[in-house]
Amino acid sequence: MADANAAHSTFVIERPLAGSPRHAFRFWADAALKQRWISCHPDWTQLDYSLDFRAGGGEISRTRSPDGAEHGVTARYLDIVEGRRIVYAYDMTVDALRISASLATVLFIPTGTGTLMQFTEQLALLDGSTDAKGRRDGSEIGFERLALELERDLATLQ
Amino acid sequence: LPPDAQMSDPGLDRLFQALADPYRRGMVDQLSRGPASVKALAEPAGLALPSALKHLGVLEAGGIVVSEKSGRVRTYRMQPGALADIEAWVAQRQRNWNQSFDRLDQLMAQTPELPEE
Repeated sequence: MADANAAHSTFVIERPLAGSPRHAFRFWADAALKQRWISCHPDWTQLDYSLDFRAGGGEISRTRSPDGAEHGVTARYLDIVEGRRIVYAYDMTVDALRISASLATVLFIPTGTGTLMQFTEQLALLDGSTDAKGRRDGSEIGFERLALELERDLATLQ
Repeated sequence: LPPDAQMSDPGLDRLFQALADPYRRGMVDQLSRGPASVKALAEPAGLALPSALKHLGVLEAGGIVVSEKSGRVRTYRMQPGALADIEAWVAQRQRNWNQSFDRLDQLMAQTPELPEE
């Protein structure tokens, strides 16, 4: 019989952002804008992306890494307060294996000069996730993507 | 994917199994703050000593805690590095988010705000 265990963890990331909460919120709500910052892997092929940004709606992303593995992220939006709060559940898969399931809460808190974005993830790490493929997921990150994005933006400005 | 095709790590399977029980997670939580006797671990959980010992046995077999006996008291402590794999995985997830948020910050700065409606 296969094991079916989980390990749990919660983490919080706080980010001061230049711009109003309304501005920050746009980058989560608009599919084209979100795709520009969410993906970690410039060398992965996007197979599928859809965003239905409303409570009860969902988000699906499927990508293929150079080793041929298919990576899936499926989210469901549970609560949205325009410009202020997003609560969603999401899971991550590598091929047929589900590696994690999470509840994420994003708060956009106005500050004098901009926005404090508070991201909380309550994460269930599912077993099987630490096998060779799961471990590779997200491990080949660097600044290439950021550099590419900056180049593109500079090109746009020129 | 058939189960045998998932190149699973037997050490991690033991770790997951050891942490699958809420009593054992409570014990790990307590021990991560410092060593404790069986009695000190059993009482807050409302466990009888034999049950507590059984759970501690699973944690010890899973390589998460170690124990030593001094006189009539057995003291448990965390095995250093036992949770490193899970911690590394969570740290990776946090790094991914931080890198995405770096890009978000850049992109926001380079995009004009929409006028108020």
